Amino acid sequence: MVNASLSGPSIQTIIVLIILATVPDPFDLWQLPFARTAMAELLLLSVAAGLLGAWVVLRRRAFFSHAVGAATFPGLVVAAATGFSAPLAALAVSLAYAAGVVALGRRRPGRRAGADRDHLATALLLVAALAAGVVLASDVFTSGAGVDRLLFGTLLGLDRGDLVLAAVAVALVATATLALGRTWAALGFDREGAGTLPLPAGLADGLLLALIAVVAVAALPAVGALLTTALLIVPAATVRRFAPSIKTLLIAAPLLAASESLAALYLALWLDAPPGPALATLSAAIYLTAALARALRSPRRPTRGPMFPARESPLFISPGAGNIGSPGGRGDT
Amino acid sequence: MTAPLVEASGLAAGYGGPPAIRELDFAVEAGQSVAVLGPNGGGKTTLLRALLGELRPAAGSARVEGRPAYVAQSERTRLDFPVSAFDVALMGTLAAGRWWLPARRSERVAAARALERVGLAAVAGTPFGELSGGQRQRVLLARALVQEARVLLLDEPLAGVDRPSAEAIESLLGDLRGEGRALLVSTHDVEGARGFDRVLCLNRRQVAYGPPADCLRRTVLEQTYGSEIVVLEEDGRSLRAVAVQHHDH
Amino acid sequence: MDVLDPLLDPWRSGIGQRALAEAVLVAAICGALGFWVLSYELSYGAESLAHGLLPGLVLAALAGLPLLVGALGGVAAAAALVGLAARDERIDTDTATAVVVTGMLGLGALLALAPEAPPRLEELLFGNPLAATAGDLAAAAALVVVGGAALVALHRPLTAVALDPGGSSALGVRPTAVRLGLLLLLAAALAVAVEGLGNLLALAVLVAPAAAVQRHVRSPGRAIALAAAIAVAASIAGLYASHYLDIAAGAAIALALCATAALGSLMPRRAQRA
Repeated sequence: MVNASLSGPSIQTIIVLIILATVPDPFDLWQLPFARTAMAELLLLSVAAGLLGAWVVLRRRAFFSHAVGAATFPGLVVAAATGFSAPLAALAVSLAYAAGVVALGRRRPGRRAGADRDHLATALLLVAALAAGVVLASDVFTSGAGVDRLLFGTLLGLDRGDLVLAAVAVALVATATLALGRTWAALGFDREGAGTLPLPAGLADGLLLALIAVVAVAALPAVGALLTTALLIVPAATVRRFAPSIKTLLIAAPLLAASESLAALYLALWLDAPPGPALATLSAAIYLTAALARALRSPRRPTRGPMFPARESPLFISPGAGNIGSPGGRGDT
Repeated sequence: MTAPLVEASGLAAGYGGPPAIRELDFAVEAGQSVAVLGPNGGGKTTLLRALLGELRPAAGSARVEGRPAYVAQSERTRLDFPVSAFDVALMGTLAAGRWWLPARRSERVAAARALERVGLAAVAGTPFGELSGGQRQRVLLARALVQEARVLLLDEPLAGVDRPSAEAIESLLGDLRGEGRALLVSTHDVEGARGFDRVLCLNRRQVAYGPPADCLRRTVLEQTYGSEIVVLEEDGRSLRAVAVQHHDH
Repeated sequence: MDVLDPLLDPWRSGIGQRALAEAVLVAAICGALGFWVLSYELSYGAESLAHGLLPGLVLAALAGLPLLVGALGGVAAAAALVGLAARDERIDTDTATAVVVTGMLGLGALLALAPEAPPRLEELLFGNPLAATAGDLAAAAALVVVGGAALVALHRPLTAVALDPGGSSALGVRPTAVRLGLLLLLAAALAVAVEGLGNLLALAVLVAPAAAVQRHVRSPGRAIALAAAIAVAASIAGLYASHYLDIAAGAAIALALCATAALGSLMPRRAQRA
């Protein structure tokens, strides 16, 4: 600053001042009541979804988590138009969806979970649910029931009821982690060889799916039906990249989710947008940055070896890998 | 003396990282059959992939005359894919190039004849997935015949195959040898390996290559299979050996 | 003439005619392509690409560019990001894909909901067949011609690699090249289909007809023809429903397509020949 121009502030100073003028005051997060509520909601959800997200990532239920949230859309539309309780409607739809997924899975015993065939059925069910929701929203109820808000959440509209639901979700997830954590871990590692478990495998997995449904429903008001995975999956997946122990994952995922939520809330205030999209963008960006950093550091393509058949590679393009190969592993694949 | 149909020289290959197989040095002449023995994970499939040209050698070289045919474990082919036995046999004509054109009449005749040769003319129209394991292997062999490959690479062709099909396959392999083709057959059947011209013992590296009498000895087998082999001695001279199998496939 | 009136009413306007033409063209090529999408187990990949291309659509809408351009860009970006996200062996591909889809959906929504003059996000998500322009029709026609020719030319390699990738590579057919070709076709098909159906519903026209026929056919050729026919029929039915029930056209078509898949999977398999 020694050679500061004498004719007025420098260009750099002006730019900085402009940016600072538009950026919201961090204290607004605390001072504005709606922001306080949103902050509390997101923090509670971070704990619930971060904890559960660790299991979602470990047990490979990512697609289900995305689908179960999105599938609640028609239920939310009906609730908004008829005044019925939105969380109840969403819970009914999501649990029904979970039951449907379990039933579909049972029809094909012995098939690997996550095979594309199962994805196909759940994906089409999802499309049907979304289409039905649109028809209901725009043509049957003609309320124009804020489709955007149902799909992507809201910053301003959170209330006490949402906080209570989020708190309940935290309690349920914490309890389940304590009670079922070891079972879930054992099943994820080696389903057949898991030996005697405190609970039958099917029941333990069913409870996991049900819990995912509950947390997704709790997250709906804040992040919307399409973006529940921003809380449930992305933070946990980011932590998981560093291959920590399960315990570390269970602690770090909620912490990361909470920090990302606060930053996203701030971003949402600044851009005047819902927190869901801000959080989704931010958390995914962090994950991808970590991925990019690793890719730049070790540029040699990590092949997945002969154990992964071609269809497990993303969009299965990896040349040479898996034209001939055997399916690997006996746990979840 | 004509050049060998298959030749490996100091071959090492893998998937990035340390090679899964190394020190492969062998040659297969026309009309010879080679049994490839080894434990699971020992590199049998890696060797076949390297010979197919799917894997680039990390060291050394592999040479195969013409385009080899590959007959895989039939579980890995898609059983619910809607093709008939005839359709599968006809796929062999893709090796002739011009894949963008439909198959010619002469090619269809060749496919029909190949199916006859493996004894499956009667089920030519049956969906591939509805055939028995042994029948599927025979169809894949018919495909190899249509391909007119001089070298055939077979990955455990007799695993889980019913008796009549196994006999038909063994007989067919004998015919193919007689026609001057070269066969490499990976197998778990240590005893069955006696019927081959050569045996290649593989456990990440080439343990032995030579006539069965030389390779099917206790020391060699123990080096190859480690603890997976159970060797029973009978009357001090002949050796019966059984490889313990793991069903990882 | 009275009997035909109800059948012809929806197509009396230019809008209706263009909607019909677009729907039929898209359905024909996507229904056919869908057989391969299923056979190569790409339906999850297709859905992820469809969801993930949203930012491309939004940016195109904001910039006044044709949606097709945005869709193609979005697909390319999504595919690249999925490739990056999945590189870590510790993260399974489902999870990696979900991360990218989440991020892209969020980014698209952020771009669409933040600025003062947002594009109609709903239309991008759920499509609008009635907004088909001559340009859209040209793109759909081009897809049918080029894609159709590609499917015909690639028929034998696609069949061989679907059945047995290892054996096919021995035959001189390169599975990687075949899969890449299929992915490119898929990307193009998605980019064209999202105009009418939106990025959330476009998957239906690709996989539902093929899912409907999959257990009932005995050859790939028959599967493709039947799937295309069913796709076209369902799309037309959806347009009729939209016209007479006064419901959103894209959603109506999507529901009709999903219904075909449900019907097809419930119907008993044809009796096997002995």
